[in-house]
Amino acid sequence: MREVVTFALACELGELERLSALLDEFGERNGVTGKPLFDVKLALDEIVTNVICYAEASQAIVVRLTRAEAELVIEVEDDGRPFDPIRVAAPDVGAPLDERRVGGLGLHFVRTVIDELAYRRCGNKNVLTMKKRL
Amino acid sequence: METLETRENGVVILSVSGRVDAANAGSFQQQLLGLVEAGEHRLVLDLAGLDYMSSAGFRVLLVAAKRVAAVHGKLALASLQEPVREVFEIAGFSSFLRIFSTREDAVAAV
Repeated sequence: MREVVTFALACELGELERLSALLDEFGERNGVTGKPLFDVKLALDEIVTNVICYAEASQAIVVRLTRAEAELVIEVEDDGRPFDPIRVAAPDVGAPLDERRVGGLGLHFVRTVIDELAYRRCGNKNVLTMKKRL
Repeated sequence: METLETRENGVVILSVSGRVDAANAGSFQQQLLGLVEAGEHRLVLDLAGLDYMSSAGFRVLLVAAKRVAAVHGKLALASLQEPVREVFEIAGFSSFLRIFSTREDAVAAV
């Protein structure tokens, strides 16, 4: 069982719902359901949202999914401004309401639900690789 | 995302279903803050039908919780589905948002 699928997403927020539907279909074909699928959907949504909102990419965002034996490998590629999500500081999730700052949660979700995260700048592209153990 | 507003014993219940993401978080924020600004200070969010919410939705909840606290109002959440509830834990929101397993309990608490 080793399926590799590539999606191209336009830099529009409306693509998020389509991405979710594509992941449901991929998950169904590859036996990835329930919590692992939810986690992958959340992580990809957060990463793609960041690219759409902040990267100023000129071409489509490319998402590549590989169903390996015991893990799902997710690669996201965009030609936007260099951005390494791994270097972003984590929010203080223990802060009381009046000290809680808005923002930074998306990448915190990604780092929590994904097992391995690697970033590289490849020419004019950001390439983020996420691994989710199944 | 679909929302439905109902009223019970002076409490406004906003039922949110489907998915909240960056594409529709703006309209969720408008609706929720609109209620606070209209003087509704006892609010329950019934999330039984909410399948998915990204950080964009959490951001709205944080802003709303701050506004409600500023007017000494009360906000409670009810009936979260398990995967969504787990994201609340990751976000650390369960420490300042009151979450109840039933809508009745949430309404009674605000």
